[in-house]
Amino acid sequence: MSDDGSEAIGEFLQGEHEPASSWVVLAFGLVTALVLLVLHSILYPGRELPVIAEILPVFEGVFDSGIWFFILGVMLGGFAIIATMLTEATSE
Amino acid sequence: MDEVLTTMAVFWALMLLTYFLMQNGLSIFNDVAKSMGMFMLEKALGPAIDLVEGRPGSASKAWFMQGLLWLLVASTLTFEGLWLMHEPAALHSLSAWGYNPTSDSLLYAGNYAVLYGGIGMLLIGAGLHILPRLARTELASEKNAVLVSFLWTLSVMVLVIGAHDSVVLGVDIIFLGTAMHVLAFFAVVINQLLTVSKRQGALAIPGWLIIFGLLADPVATAATFISGSIETGVGQWLLGHMVGGTFFFASAAGVALYAASSATGNPLWSKSLAAAVLVGSMATINPMGEIDGRMAADMLGLSLGDFQFTTEDNLVAAFLMALATIPIMALAANVLITLRGGDAFVENPDSAGTAELNLGASMLLPLAIGSMFIQSDAFAASPELSGLAPSLMLIGIWLVFVPISLGAALHLFPAVTGRHLLSRNRARWAFWMMGGGAFLGLTVTMMADMIDMALIEATVGDPSSLAGELRVVGAVLFYGTVVGAVLHTLNAVSGLFRGTRVDSERETSSSLSPESYSLASPTSVRRILASGANLETTVVPVGESDDAGSATEL
Repeated sequence: MSDDGSEAIGEFLQGEHEPASSWVVLAFGLVTALVLLVLHSILYPGRELPVIAEILPVFEGVFDSGIWFFILGVMLGGFAIIATMLTEATSE
Repeated sequence: MDEVLTTMAVFWALMLLTYFLMQNGLSIFNDVAKSMGMFMLEKALGPAIDLVEGRPGSASKAWFMQGLLWLLVASTLTFEGLWLMHEPAALHSLSAWGYNPTSDSLLYAGNYAVLYGGIGMLLIGAGLHILPRLARTELASEKNAVLVSFLWTLSVMVLVIGAHDSVVLGVDIIFLGTAMHVLAFFAVVINQLLTVSKRQGALAIPGWLIIFGLLADPVATAATFISGSIETGVGQWLLGHMVGGTFFFASAAGVALYAASSATGNPLWSKSLAAAVLVGSMATINPMGEIDGRMAADMLGLSLGDFQFTTEDNLVAAFLMALATIPIMALAANVLITLRGGDAFVENPDSAGTAELNLGASMLLPLAIGSMFIQSDAFAASPELSGLAPSLMLIGIWLVFVPISLGAALHLFPAVTGRHLLSRNRARWAFWMMGGGAFLGLTVTMMADMIDMALIEATVGDPSSLAGELRVVGAVLFYGTVVGAVLHTLNAVSGLFRGTRVDSERETSSSLSPESYSLASPTSVRRILASGANLETTVVPVGESDDAGSATEL
């Protein structure tokens, strides 16, 4: 294959089909993240997670009831509706 | 003469006058009134009217989409209200922002959101589509109806805020919301009246139900003022039930009867029953609703009057509520049997909205009878069942009026927008989430109410932990309604842009139609059409004989 051929395409192509095994990559990423968290607790027992441990106290006293999990779901639903409106309106 | 009968007599007289004027017009003022009405709907609004589109169907689309969004808000407020019944301090962290909701204020705000935002907007949106079709004409002003939908939404927002705190900076917020609501309401009424005035022939009964449902709301308010009962608790209670029985029940009945026939392709089962619904909704007192007139009093900026029924009031109100069983039973039977049909469905029986209509019609009669017992009990000097009233009202709203209005809107969605909902499967999931969540959640909440009532009756001081746990379970189960509202809204929003086009689906389905249909035994044309045949299909009679059969010769 010549170099001229690859330059001639020159545009972005997005596949329409999803390979069946693509979820393995996502699952592998998730497992890796969990493993790293466990590894952190083993290597640095008693030490809090960097960054996250500093952010969480901000919300102390706010999300102190189970209702907030449900309200979070409502907010996700609301954002999903807004996002759908925006993306549907701006898509080709 | 007692207050209930006097007010009802004035209401009936005014409704008869309204009907007479609609049939006979305003004599020499007819043309002037029509021209003035059209001027007020469009030209008088100046450049504002050019901000919206006036394509056919755009009005219903605007009302449907905003109604769906209000259902999400209403279900969220109701869910929070149910949760806070058990845990009053669950949202105390919001007090830092100056927002201190209580269970009562959240449920009250949820009622405004669902009645006027969700159900009201869906019913009016459906009416804006149905009435012109039944009158065989076009809506008088699509542009005005679109524009007014935003004013209506704004008024509901103000009402929801007012339900939390009725006076802000010295202004009665609920009354302000009512004033905006009345303005939007009159614009819709004038729009529909002008549409009906252009009708090409007799209007079918669902059309009369829709127009009377709209007209009866201001007429009922006027009747209560004229009779002088508006300051009393009885008059306020009656006004709430007259509006509930006309604007909500009659409009829902008209929309449900039209949608039941349109969704299945079956003709309306009984014209007489439809007429009974029309007359009955105006002549009786619908038992579903509050046991006091709090909402009516707040909306009119009045203080809640003493709720003391005289013996005559009690008798008349109980009699008229018992009579309401006739239109309610007539509507439920007519809708259910029309949906079932005498034969196979011509249209798709699985279409979105049909299940909701079925649920609403099925729940109508048992809930109405339950409400009648609660209301009759509330007239007594020492009511015993009033603890169940708020839950029963919520059940009536979420299992009768929401399914009927939502079902009609979902069914009419393709006709209004030109596209189907994005996913029929998602609509089915949303139905189960919404219906199941409301049914289970509110039933469990009612069980907790019963426990509390039993403890109060036994003069037990400590609240039961079981009742508290049941309330949490009830609230969590009701959350399914919130999820269902999100799914329905997402389905509709995506359907607006990517749903299958109505015309393209017809082409597809026609290509699947069989070229010939073998007619082995006598059958109806409906069944032949239901099997997928169309007008081009050749029906081939196949010979039959009564001789004993034998093995086929190969």
